[in-house]
Amino acid sequence: MPEPTRPLVSGATLGAGRHGASQNNLADTVFGVLVWGSALAVTAGFLWLVGEIVVSGFGAISWEFLTSEPASSGRAGGISTILVATLGILGICLAVSIPLGLGTALFLSEFSQGENRMGRFVRASLDVLAGVPSIVFGLFGNAFFCVALGFGFSILSGGLTLACMVLPILIRSIELGLRAVPNDYRVAAAALDLSKSRMIVRVLLPAAAPGLIAGLLLGIGRATAETAALIFTSGYVDRMPESVFDSGRALSIHIYDLAMNVPGGEANAYGTALVLVGLLLVINFVATHLVERFVSGRIQSA
Amino acid sequence: MKHSLSSLLLAAVLPVALVACAPSEAGTTTDGGLSGKLTLTGSSTIAPLALEIAKRFEERHPDVRIDVQTGGSSRGISDARSGLADIGMASRRLKDGEIELTAHAIAQDGVCMILHASNVVASLTDDQVRAIYLGEIENWSEVGGEDAPITVVNKAAGRATLEVFTKHFGLDEKEIQADVIVGDNEQGIKTVAGNPDSIGYVSIGTAEYSAGSDVAIKLLPANGITASTASVGSGSFPIGRPLNLVTFGEVSKLQRAYIDFCRSAEVHDLVTGLYFVPVRTAQ
Repeated sequence: MPEPTRPLVSGATLGAGRHGASQNNLADTVFGVLVWGSALAVTAGFLWLVGEIVVSGFGAISWEFLTSEPASSGRAGGISTILVATLGILGICLAVSIPLGLGTALFLSEFSQGENRMGRFVRASLDVLAGVPSIVFGLFGNAFFCVALGFGFSILSGGLTLACMVLPILIRSIELGLRAVPNDYRVAAAALDLSKSRMIVRVLLPAAAPGLIAGLLLGIGRATAETAALIFTSGYVDRMPESVFDSGRALSIHIYDLAMNVPGGEANAYGTALVLVGLLLVINFVATHLVERFVSGRIQSA
Repeated sequence: MKHSLSSLLLAAVLPVALVACAPSEAGTTTDGGLSGKLTLTGSSTIAPLALEIAKRFEERHPDVRIDVQTGGSSRGISDARSGLADIGMASRRLKDGEIELTAHAIAQDGVCMILHASNVVASLTDDQVRAIYLGEIENWSEVGGEDAPITVVNKAAGRATLEVFTKHFGLDEKEIQADVIVGDNEQGIKTVAGNPDSIGYVSIGTAEYSAGSDVAIKLLPANGITASTASVGSGSFPIGRPLNLVTFGEVSKLQRAYIDFCRSAEVHDLVTGLYFVPVRTAQ
């Protein structure tokens, strides 16, 4: 919270030389009110949203709800099959996007310095891709993975489509993390005669960990909340998936369907939303924890 | 392509099933014998119903797998035509350009106007309803009621009932002057039941059920036709739409069996469970 105020305060101090003191005070007060106001508004909005989900969804949650299959269009029964499908889709998405994202980010920051044309082209396409609406990814995934590659409506198609969708965010934030690492590190590593690959694994990646975590969490968040890209790829079937080639319904689609298409589905829609929020928190915690452990281990040994 | 695959599977499985059944009871084969996979895509309104029916169908025919996907009515129609889906789902009538497809209605969805039970107005013409929703008529006395301002209850954007309503009355969603916006049918009914001067519209199945269980609403006739699931089922009630399964070309044995099952009395509880009106099949 204190971080956003810092540049503003220094900006106001800079202005002190040009304007009178009272004017300066007024500007400070206005800035202060605006900054506090926006922080409060955002926090209040967040709390209201989470509060609403918890209050309306808590009644639906039980062990039974998590471990039984949906019945009566989702109004009765639970969400076991949907949880399994969601984890499958997310797993495939991450298994594909993390290595690819890491590789591309390393290419952009370490192998294509400065005015490299290839680097500029990749970066421009990523920026365009990051702004493409998810429904377009859904239609692309349907045409490419489901139809052209013949995977059909399946968890595999859904996971791969999501991977395409989160890659731009993942790559750009990892790249920013890598670029934030001071150049001294690279120079020092070169002076110690570390090979480039050793330098990247032992020095750069641990130092760029905050960027990695941020990218990963943004990607996971976007993937887990996705509806439009999945309705055409992983599909709507709420049976227990037997393999990644089976269609499976994601949590977000289940929520959408219960809220929009099934009369009397609101209670379980809220329950599922609460599970989704909980799942996101757990994943964020685990991801942060894992990366931190990895980093502290590396930095000590290095 | 899919048909040949499913008949191939049928040919492969059938002899085994027959041999397996031969020593015990041959009677079981009359119910079984169906195998293969069906893919349905289309209307998100029909999808929950088609999925529940599919589950019940799979229970009876363990060798059959039915995958229900959504994506909207237009997608259902184009997938049925291109063969991407064995059966499409469309929650509307087929258009003139779609005559090469066959529609099989599995349920009806009707929408009716509702008033508070104490309101003295017994019926409204289409023009009156339109004027009320456009804000041109703002008092019940203008349409034969008591001197009280009208509370207009409208549906939130994206609701299917809103679409059916605006289409029937020739209204533009953005022109509607609503006092209250509601989400689902239940909310619409509670709002009207709690406000003696209000007018709203909901799915007929839900309204009939509520009015029958002493909720203070009444259903208005449309063009003189009583609003009831019966008049929707017979097709005489003007505001509504069919929920169709759509097929292209020749219908396989499995497709036929599933469509017939969807239209049969055995799934009426599932149809009414989603507040739709079952179709009356001959016999």
